[in-house]
Amino acid sequence: MADYAKPIESNFLSVLRKTTLNAQALKGRLCPHLIEGNCLEQERIIQTEDLSKFYGPHMALENLNLDIKKGATGLLGPNGAGKSTFLKTILGLIQATSGEGTVLGHDIRTEGAAIRARIGYMPEYDALNPDMDAINQVRYSGELLGMNPIVALQRAHASLQYVGLGEQRYREIKSFSTGMKQATKLACAIIHDPELIIADEPSNGLDSTAREFMIDTLINTVKQGDRSVLMASHLMDDVERVCDDIVLLHKGKLAAQGRIEDLKAIDREIEIHVWGGASKLEAAMIQRGMRVRREGRVMRIAHESEELTSEILLCASQVGAQIRRMHEYEASLEDLFLVIMENLGYDVKSSEDLFNHPIHARKVDAPGHMGGGAS
Amino acid sequence: MSEDEENLPQSQPQPMAIAPQPLPLTQAQPQPMAIAPQPLPLTQAQPQPMAIAPQPLPLTQAQPQPMAIAPQPLPLTQAQPQPMAIAPQPLPLTQPQPQPMAIAPQPLPLTQAQPQPMAIAPQPLPLTQPQVQHVATEDIQMATAETPVTGQARMDTAWGSSEGDENISEMASIGQTDSGEIFKQNYEPWRGELNPRWMRNWAILRHHILGIFKKGHRPWGVPTRIFLVLVFFASLSDAALTLLSSLIGDAEFHSFWGVNRDNLYGHVLGFFPRNVMYYPIVAALLVGGVISEDRLHGTSALYFSRPINRFDYVGMKYASVAFIQAIIIIFTLFLYYLTEIMAFGRGWAWIVDTFPIFLGALLGGVLLIITYTSIGLALSSVSKGKFFPGIGLLAIILGTKTLAIIVKNLFDREILYLLSPYDCLAHVGQTLVNTQPTYDQYSWTWSLASLIVMNAIALYVLSSRVSSMEVTRE
Repeated sequence: MADYAKPIESNFLSVLRKTTLNAQALKGRLCPHLIEGNCLEQERIIQTEDLSKFYGPHMALENLNLDIKKGATGLLGPNGAGKSTFLKTILGLIQATSGEGTVLGHDIRTEGAAIRARIGYMPEYDALNPDMDAINQVRYSGELLGMNPIVALQRAHASLQYVGLGEQRYREIKSFSTGMKQATKLACAIIHDPELIIADEPSNGLDSTAREFMIDTLINTVKQGDRSVLMASHLMDDVERVCDDIVLLHKGKLAAQGRIEDLKAIDREIEIHVWGGASKLEAAMIQRGMRVRREGRVMRIAHESEELTSEILLCASQVGAQIRRMHEYEASLEDLFLVIMENLGYDVKSSEDLFNHPIHARKVDAPGHMGGGAS
Repeated sequence: MSEDEENLPQSQPQPMAIAPQPLPLTQAQPQPMAIAPQPLPLTQAQPQPMAIAPQPLPLTQAQPQPMAIAPQPLPLTQAQPQPMAIAPQPLPLTQPQPQPMAIAPQPLPLTQAQPQPMAIAPQPLPLTQPQVQHVATEDIQMATAETPVTGQARMDTAWGSSEGDENISEMASIGQTDSGEIFKQNYEPWRGELNPRWMRNWAILRHHILGIFKKGHRPWGVPTRIFLVLVFFASLSDAALTLLSSLIGDAEFHSFWGVNRDNLYGHVLGFFPRNVMYYPIVAALLVGGVISEDRLHGTSALYFSRPINRFDYVGMKYASVAFIQAIIIIFTLFLYYLTEIMAFGRGWAWIVDTFPIFLGALLGGVLLIITYTSIGLALSSVSKGKFFPGIGLLAIILGTKTLAIIVKNLFDREILYLLSPYDCLAHVGQTLVNTQPTYDQYSWTWSLASLIVMNAIALYVLSSRVSSMEVTRE
């Protein structure tokens, strides 16, 4: 197991490093004048540097260094990770204890109002007056941004149409379902066509149909509308569908940041289903230097070389085992989240600590003695 | 003809997985196909199973034919219908061919009366070969205005429930098309500019004030609106009686209702009925949910995620509630004064004499509005409902007054009046209007100081509570 875990650790950490380094490289490539503060901000919508927030002795955010690019980014973390504090900080609603940051080029310490005028915030919980009809609620939210009432009304119609409430816009909100309320909140958030939409648990409490529509709407907003979305959610599937990047917070610290694909590549494996001679095949593959995890007839081999499939088949032919199924296995974002949270979480001090922290096992369906989390 | 074939009934039903259709076959059995059937080189007694994209099968007589997706080959006989799933193609069947049953061994446990499940989306069964070509999916067109109206339901037309002799034109309604889309999601950008701070503040003020008069703004309750209208007209009672006294010319009647020092004071600060039945209840109804309902419904997030700071938020709420009260108290005072001038043709000398008194009453009204609003909003800010702030405000105004009266009557001490907002206002108002004071045991400055303290405490509570309101869930 130790032999198995060691390379995985290095692989895991190398990808994390690479992801962050890519961000650094991107920063340098796109923003050569970053240090002087003259950077073009089109590609980087949120940036923080050593951002900390303390509530008395309680640390909510600690030395947060983030670099969020344009597009869709998922903000993940368990309860108490600091997501809400982070959102309030970048909205300019609370003052950071130390550190600095910018949102769309505006300083979060001094330009909170300017930030809030350029972003659309979709709160997690109810934020609508149940006795108002949807059209006037959305119109009023536009007026609160400084929109002319007539323009706000026009945009309210367009926004509600966009979120699928065109036919229900004159209904009172108290008659709405949860999905319709969520859609109304999204309409309030996008009425002024913000450059950045902060969606806090947008699919929380929705049934499958409403959830699909909400996710599709967010995807459409990003792809067709060319807008950025910062999406805080506990639903990994939703984040994975909408977002290209994630930021993972834990106890106020950055646990991971980068492209989902890069992070998921940590766990790329080939999964085979073997018939007859599984033990021999396993031994043969290990002998050829492959890293194999086995659960009965199912084996997963770390995908480290392009010739892996040929080598597996060669081993199978040598030992006389039948491979009845072979496919690439890719960890889901939830797998990744669990790996980081459960195996690293409580001891993570920072991303640097994350890099140096040993990984003992991965949460897969392999037995414990083989490096998995199953008993 | 083989023996097996001879045993076949003349007409066999052929159930399908979806919408089974009994096929009134005559000679022999139908031959359902799974997907994309192709010409079948049928030989004698040779069933031809079709998989996905089947190919001509060079079958020999006794060969078993494995099936991929449940195709059920049946020996074709004369004029056999060909049930088609997707993209059927013409079968190169020539003249009625005798189709003897397959010779054993047959891997397919088909019996003569065996149901024939369709693999994928069975479609109406074209009976003849020329019809089959028209049914191809690519050729199906949407119904047009020229499409004959047959009265058949759509599903009936699509899947058929008749004997299979449908008119081919009825197939038009099941064509694949990208039209008919009810909702198309298009993100519409907006390139307008947002107005500055004053416009946002005006939006809050407008939202609350216009809500009294019309739908689409802050939804004040119907009882609140009705009560406000009643109080407004009730507050104009002295103006109406002044006008009446001018019409009837009764000097004694006018001295009772017309503008004078006591009546100007009484219009704003008179205890009964105005400060018992009118103004405290108006204030209670107005302040009740102004802030507390933002907490209750979470609409504070709507404000604070916008470029609106706490001062603007509470300031505009305060101003809107005060403005509505001012319409009832100050505006009616002004109308009362104006009625006296207009009805009796008062000249400048009278105006110069009475205007300071009017200003004193107006200032007293402003103090009343400020005090009631401050206390009411402070109560609203600590609550999540509109009931508690309203009742709390009434309890403070009327309860302290009642307590002070009791103490005065029992102990002949007026000091507790300093705890009563109304009595402090009345004491200061009597000084401003310079009418006969009713509080003899202490100076009016104590009442003014008490009012200042009350307002300071209320505003402190209000500001601290509003500053702690969250954009996220509280």
